[in-house]
Amino acid sequence: MTELGTASVRLVGQPLQAAVLPETGRLDPESRVWLHGLRGRDEDTIARLHALLLRAARFEVARRKPLLPHVRGGDLDDLAEQAADDALVSVLRRLDDFRGASRFTTWAYKFALYEAAVKLRKRAWQGREVPLEPEGWSLLSSAELAPEAEAEQTELMTALQSTVENVLTPHQRRVLVALAVNGVPIDVLAERLGTNRGALYKTLHDARRKLRRELTAQGFELPEER
Amino acid sequence: MKPTDRDGAVRRLLGPAEQELSCDECFEHLDRYVELELAGTDADAHVPGLRAHLAGCPACREEHDSLLALVTTDQPKP
Repeated sequence: MTELGTASVRLVGQPLQAAVLPETGRLDPESRVWLHGLRGRDEDTIARLHALLLRAARFEVARRKPLLPHVRGGDLDDLAEQAADDALVSVLRRLDDFRGASRFTTWAYKFALYEAAVKLRKRAWQGREVPLEPEGWSLLSSAELAPEAEAEQTELMTALQSTVENVLTPHQRRVLVALAVNGVPIDVLAERLGTNRGALYKTLHDARRKLRRELTAQGFELPEER
Repeated sequence: MKPTDRDGAVRRLLGPAEQELSCDECFEHLDRYVELELAGTDADAHVPGLRAHLAGCPACREEHDSLLALVTTDQPKP
């Protein structure tokens, strides 16, 4: 894995704090065996790990296959193999990060799923133009002849569009529009802009906070996730 | 656009209201979070900010859903 480094415990935009307390030092016997074999670079253990990662990568490919009807099966097999290879490198490099907060296999799976998912997103967008301009605004503002119940929401949409255009920086606007309006996958946008997922998400997060602050100041009641 | 579509559009633009983890932190804690979920434990209480991040980040959400589904296949059948 190249983009996701070891992270400190920190909420986006917040100072360091002990928000998450990972459990450590309680390895289950199976995880202990995995670690022992891999730290010793035991070939059989490494081969078993690769098989485990390949299974995870193929699992991810199978989940997304319906969304990629134009990609040949052989290409998807190659993609799963490549994802497993890359995940193996990441797992071996980051063995010391495993603290036993989960089973070792669960920890290892996530590397293969990540590698496969990123590759599949990029494959799906290969050769496609990445829209950075607000081509989706017409959808957001295409108010139907709204009944009264929709009037407030239509007003919010209008204010939202205006705030995006007038309050965000050009970079924040491009990132927000590409990700949240035009539906560009974050890994695809990161590759096109020469950055990484974490940096882009930070930009998106800051843009969203600005929007919330501005709209709240204008008196709008904004939706909560819960 | 139907009102429900616009609800979704507004949520995608505004993101979660609560504090959230970053993508790196989400990845770091995802395995533990998924196992806590499968154990029926309050994963959100143990890993604050991760659920909010999943609400705001479609890529991390997809990877969470895949890990949950994959680990579920490893669970012994009742």
